[in-house]
Amino acid sequence: MKKILVIEDNPMVIKSLQFKLTKDGHEVLIAKDGREAMKFLKEANFDLILTDLMLPFVTGKELISYIKKNSPKTPIIVLSTSTQENIIMDAFNMGVDDFITKPFSPNELSLRVKRFLNKA
Amino acid sequence: MVESHIIEQENFAHLALQEGWQLVICNSGIDAIHWFNKNNKADLLVIEEDSAPLNGYQTADYLKTELGLMLPILITVGTVPNPQELRVIAYAEGVIKKPFIKSTTILQINEILERYPERDSVQNDSYSLNYLRDIFDGHEESVFESLELFSTSVNTELEQLNVELQDRDYNRIREIAHSIKPSFEMLENETGRCICHLLNSEAEETEMPGLIHDLQLEFASITKQLTRDFPELKIGR
Repeated sequence: MKKILVIEDNPMVIKSLQFKLTKDGHEVLIAKDGREAMKFLKEANFDLILTDLMLPFVTGKELISYIKKNSPKTPIIVLSTSTQENIIMDAFNMGVDDFITKPFSPNELSLRVKRFLNKA
Repeated sequence: MVESHIIEQENFAHLALQEGWQLVICNSGIDAIHWFNKNNKADLLVIEEDSAPLNGYQTADYLKTELGLMLPILITVGTVPNPQELRVIAYAEGVIKKPFIKSTTILQINEILERYPERDSVQNDSYSLNYLRDIFDGHEESVFESLELFSTSVNTELEQLNVELQDRDYNRIREIAHSIKPSFEMLENETGRCICHLLNSEAEETEMPGLIHDLQLEFASITKQLTRDFPELKIGR
């Protein structure tokens, strides 16, 4: 079972991600803000990280920088909204692997997650 | 009801008479759509799986997606139902096997009518459940839990918007709008989505009080409609 960390603060998005990813057979951990995410990242290794960029306490940029430094092989998919083109470009420049626009299509999410987990 | 097999149609009509259900028989899914366009008031649609030219699931999809109707739909199937994709099945609330057996058919229909008490089936512009039904593979409990989450979580954030407005923390207002925008999108509410988008990206500071007020009105309109449609849920409580 692959372990996925979801870093997201919208409860409806969290619920839908948790439902879909668990149904696809993955173990899912949820961090509702950057601080909680840092705690999880220090305690465990993950096969994939799905993260929002605009987070309370620790920004998405800071998180990505931490992950790239400490766990450079872990793929990162950014959960974005359609208004964040510049921020998404910055994230790609920092080395994120992909992005999914919220609210996501269920099949698209499954396919993209599967793609990166198969590579891992 | 849409049923082309004349004996099954008569069987069902007999049950309806016995149970006091007012029955309207349509010749096809398209005929049913025309009927709903003119009348838009029914407590249940029972439609055969292989109705033509639109099958039962396609008709259910059209009624719910295009006409925005909220009524439950039961699909009647033969001994071996045709395989369907999960997302297609999600448009119907259940299936009834044919030939109709009096006791089980009555029980199934009464259960559905109890689960879906009489609702205003007029087109609903405030929200749609299509996305939620899609993402939760038709798992109604998760859809309803999400509606309750929408009500509580967005309400909290809207209250926080007022606080931030008083403190003139415009960056925090943009962050909150960014955070709740997907909630409106998941209910396919275009007004809420647009206001959140403006607050998050283009709005001047002077425009923010008006936009926040409009967002609160839109949220109130959605929750009012949800309360009316789903009185059993904890919406706005």
